Amino acid sequence: MLFTDRRQLALLLLPAALLLVVFALAPVVQVAIYSFQSIDYAADTARWVGLENYVTLFGDWFFRVDIGNTVRFAVVASLAQVALGTALALLLNREFRGRGAVLSVVVYPMMLSTLVCSAIWRSWFHYDVGVLNGALGWLGLPPVAWLSDPGLALWSVMLVDTWQWTPMTTLIVLAGLQSIPPEVVEAARTDGARTWVLLTRIVLLLVRGQIFLALLLRLIDTFKLFDKVYALTGGGPGNATETMSMYVYQKGFSFFDVGLAAAASVVMMAIACALCAVYAAQAMRGSSK
Amino acid sequence: MIRRSLPYLGIALFVLVFALPVVWMIGAAFEDPARAGRGFLPTAPTLDNIRAVLADGFLVRLTNTAIVAFGATLLSLFAGFLAAYALARFRFPKRLDVLFLLLVLVVKLMPPIVVALPLHALLLDLGLLGTLSGLVLVYQLYTLPFCLWMLLGFVREVPVEIEAAAAIDGAGLLRRLWHIVLPLALPGLVATLIFALILCWNEFLFALLYLQRPSRFTLPLYVATFITEDETLWGRLMAIGLLSSLPVLLVAGYIQKHLLRGFAPGTK
Repeated sequence: MLFTDRRQLALLLLPAALLLVVFALAPVVQVAIYSFQSIDYAADTARWVGLENYVTLFGDWFFRVDIGNTVRFAVVASLAQVALGTALALLLNREFRGRGAVLSVVVYPMMLSTLVCSAIWRSWFHYDVGVLNGALGWLGLPPVAWLSDPGLALWSVMLVDTWQWTPMTTLIVLAGLQSIPPEVVEAARTDGARTWVLLTRIVLLLVRGQIFLALLLRLIDTFKLFDKVYALTGGGPGNATETMSMYVYQKGFSFFDVGLAAAASVVMMAIACALCAVYAAQAMRGSSK
Repeated sequence: MIRRSLPYLGIALFVLVFALPVVWMIGAAFEDPARAGRGFLPTAPTLDNIRAVLADGFLVRLTNTAIVAFGATLLSLFAGFLAAYALARFRFPKRLDVLFLLLVLVVKLMPPIVVALPLHALLLDLGLLGTLSGLVLVYQLYTLPFCLWMLLGFVREVPVEIEAAAAIDGAGLLRRLWHIVLPLALPGLVATLIFALILCWNEFLFALLYLQRPSRFTLPLYVATFITEDETLWGRLMAIGLLSSLPVLLVAGYIQKHLLRGFAPGTK
């Protein structure tokens, strides 16, 4: 009889449900409606245009480039972060003095605001007086146009993202490593397993769940990419670093083509939901263990 | 011997890579404005940059950011705590709790730009476009799923037996929430509070879209205008960066232990 009162339950859920419906659910429905309309702000009218916005969207060369950039960025940056994060987690999975201090320093990048990170790196990338070209010069190498070379700019943004978020993948994998019972590793060692075999066959196999989870979370997050591009390159040079989020931003808030921006939003939402479904399945499997 | 020290060499290398940009930022903030950013340590340490930034409206942006961050976080903690309690304790008809949690998860993981246009229209209708209270409301999109998800774990850890005993003594729902669940889940609430504050502190997209007057800007927006307008005033830019990150960096040691819960739901 405790915790069965439906009225109490409804009251407890009310504030959160209200906020979620008004600020998340209703807007998602709204944006889906926009995507089938042509909206004229000056005349304050909207008319139904069916799939016209979607046809325009997928016929738009810029949108296709932005999808390409977003996918390339998400896949490469996420994989790099998971690989580096796993390596660092394996290194940190031991007892030593100052381990706590090391962990505190390692999480700094992900605590900083993306804008501050971008401000630092934008200065480091500076062609004439940046730290990176300074280091290259010191090594006797020619300077690199980190942010203004169209072939390189997206990679530079990936570098910043990897610097900022590798700490997160490290922590996730490290948590997995620390939950491996020491006996497992001991048993393998007495069976004569060599260190490298031990590492790859046993340890990485045992934390494959965490590695996959880290990869998914980074994919979901990098897919949203906006702040870094805005602050580092503004989408340029040309549209070499434009992402899907940038596309919605520009179409919706600079060109006021709401229908088109909404259609792009719906495409993004569909992709996000697919990633989210995989994540939910994985997370629930993890928590039922 | 070499084999043994190899892992520590690797760790040192990683630490160096993660720390150097932060060290550089601090150095540039205290360097002579004309030379800032050319090296890692200031050659002639000065407070000029810090002073210039403080005199130039930094404090207004700091106050704005704090108002929005605390407003959004407290609202989410309130709504999230009640909902988390309901989800942890009550029996839901027809597995509606799973549905509710899935909704929360989707909101937590979806790209915020997706709802940027409708939220713009909504804020306009409410007359809250360009205001800090408007920002507090749209930040619920980030903070509420986050708080709910985190608090759920913490509330589940509060033993139900104490509450059952209090109920037998006649304590109603509100009294149990206030006198039993809240105090026992307090460490979790504090951790959640700090994370949600950081989340708002660093938020950029909605601030960019919904704030118009510079006097209402939050710190990330202030940094953004500075990056795009005064490209190489690095001393000042890094002074802003340092001052605005200071609160976050100071708690890094504490939150490092709780970090996983906040950023990677589903892991323990």
